[in-house]
Amino acid sequence: MILRTSQWLGLSLLLGLLLFSLLGITLSPYSISQQDLNAILVPPNAEHWLGTDHFGRSMLSRMAHAIGLSFALGILCVVTSAFLGTTLGVMAVWAGKRVDQALAVVVNILLALPGLVIVLLFAAIAPGSFWVLYIAISLVQWVEYFRVTRAITQGVIQSPARQSSNMMGFGTWYQFKRHIWPAIAPSVFTLAAFGGANAILTMASLGFVYVGIQPPLAELGLMTVELFPFYSEAPWLLAQPLVVIALMVFGFHLLAGKRA
Amino acid sequence: MRDMLKITDLAVYVDDVCLLEPISLSLREGEPLTILGQTGSGKSLLAQAIIGLLPDELRLVGQVEVLGKTLSLEERRALWGREMVMLPQEPWHALDPLMKGQEQVKEVYQLVQGEDKTTAEHKTRLDLAHVGLTENGHKRPGQLSGGMAQRLAITAATAAGANLILADEPTKGLDVTRRDDIVRLLQARAEGGSLLTITHDVAIARQLAGRLMVIKGGALVEEGEAKQILNQPTDDYTKALIAAEPKQWPEPKLAEVGNTLVLEADTVAIERGGRTLFKDISFSVHQGEVVGVVGDSGCGKSSLGDALLGLLPLQQGQLKRLSSASKPHQWLKLYQDPPSAFTSSVSLQQLLDDLVRLHKLDRSRIAPLMARLSLPEGILERNCLSVSGGELQRFAILRALLLDPVFLFADEPTSRLDPITAQEVTELLVELARETGCAVLLVSHDPDLVSKTCDQVIRLS
Repeated sequence: MILRTSQWLGLSLLLGLLLFSLLGITLSPYSISQQDLNAILVPPNAEHWLGTDHFGRSMLSRMAHAIGLSFALGILCVVTSAFLGTTLGVMAVWAGKRVDQALAVVVNILLALPGLVIVLLFAAIAPGSFWVLYIAISLVQWVEYFRVTRAITQGVIQSPARQSSNMMGFGTWYQFKRHIWPAIAPSVFTLAAFGGANAILTMASLGFVYVGIQPPLAELGLMTVELFPFYSEAPWLLAQPLVVIALMVFGFHLLAGKRA
Repeated sequence: MRDMLKITDLAVYVDDVCLLEPISLSLREGEPLTILGQTGSGKSLLAQAIIGLLPDELRLVGQVEVLGKTLSLEERRALWGREMVMLPQEPWHALDPLMKGQEQVKEVYQLVQGEDKTTAEHKTRLDLAHVGLTENGHKRPGQLSGGMAQRLAITAATAAGANLILADEPTKGLDVTRRDDIVRLLQARAEGGSLLTITHDVAIARQLAGRLMVIKGGALVEEGEAKQILNQPTDDYTKALIAAEPKQWPEPKLAEVGNTLVLEADTVAIERGGRTLFKDISFSVHQGEVVGVVGDSGCGKSSLGDALLGLLPLQQGQLKRLSSASKPHQWLKLYQDPPSAFTSSVSLQQLLDDLVRLHKLDRSRIAPLMARLSLPEGILERNCLSVSGGELQRFAILRALLLDPVFLFADEPTSRLDPITAQEVTELLVELARETGCAVLLVSHDPDLVSKTCDQVIRLS
């Protein structure tokens, strides 16, 4: 796949953030919960490069951990939902009417509920669990891959090219690799990039309404709401998680590229 | 007779490569001009250059005069619809798939001619009656047959009153009877104006009469009265083009067909979309035999072939595959549109390698077959989109032959190829089938082609 300039920009932005996160997690001398009540809400300085929050915790450590957490969730969700959606989408076309109908029922149920409601439901069952969030977001996101894959695969299955390969005795995996995957790959890639951004936004929204990741862990949405009361005293603190969320979403959207 | 269109030294370049060599022609009122040539000879570029639709990367040199005035590109564009019009090659791409046929014609009267609704409706009705589409005016293009859609497209295109008509392969993919209809319609439309037709079909040139120009590789070979050229061609290329018409093919040498039965069909009936296409068809196919299937479009020719391969269920009757030793992958199909029968995601070499690996074939068989099918070595590195249709169809035959087929269903394998290539491909196919003892079911819309190649003909109606 050849990336355009804007896609390279998006990719480097994301890699830059990831690098910051990894370096911050490994090299910062402060843990995310280590308090220093003598130095609260201090502006960035030589000791605390990004300042400290209202409990005197190092913002650098907390930001690094929060970014790492967002990336981990985003990537896990994208991989899971893309794999699930693509597999089921191809199966819906290939495995006969019964399977298609059964999957249509499941998909319609999921589509009838707003995505955020499903995630909230799961989050309410087990508040603060990273894995429940991951399952809930993946569950919402695979539907898109399913629908797109199914629509494209229908055309490919009917195509003379696939029929010809089938008659020549090529197996299922070969037909998928040579005919179906080349047709769906560009769409799956675009969906994956948008999906990454959405997963991160969803996690931040849940953190913002206190049903996502729980304190004292660092999470971008949670940090936003924790630092919100100090917006006039220490605006640089509130700005940090907000700017990073924006940059991550921006990076993923750039990576998705423009479809010609 | 005045000149409707005059072209002086028109040439088309991309960078410094000449795609269409300088050509001059004049189109007189009431005298149709036909340009005949093989695919890839630059014919379509000429039409695009005249009307002003050349892609931006191509450079146009020379002069175009319309009705005695030299016009620039913008001035020519201003004449679209009202003075001159180019008919679409494939009506499906030119018509709005969601709009009823009559609306598409009415729209032209209302929006281009600026007429009010009732007049536009009235004129549309007359137009549709004129082309025999009164009953079908309320249908959408997808519900029309190829011939009807083309008639509708021509009606819509000429509704704005243009009488200088450019037609680029106006009958592509239509069967013989439909083709004649379209040609007659074009002739009628061009009365009082003129018609420039670009085609690779000698039969159309013969029917349109008028003047004829033969083009080869972007250069003019012969020019003159159509009748005279077609009856007494002087140039070798023109002769080859005329000889490639199925009607002119040599009488077939009836080969002795083996006694071994491959397939027996007994009172077969097939339905599609709830309609019975045909019933009570019985025939048997022997080893090395070429069986032709003819019939009008939509009569179920291709469905019959698909059913024999087990791709479609039978409504009634029985099929017996009598060569018990054959494996499923020895029953194969050649497709009408070669590029759609290959994946473009990998090179042709890769496709061959896949096949060799799957069936553990002997790699050394490939080279002699390639030579036999006159496939150049270099094409294997490319993918199916960057190879010509003729080459790709021959590659399809190569791929099929590697599997030692017992039965090959060729579904209009040459209808999208130009006549010279079509003749080569058909002859090769028949020859190789006889040599290898493979039975071929050849479906074609051209009765001449079938009668010149097949040992047995099945007629569907």
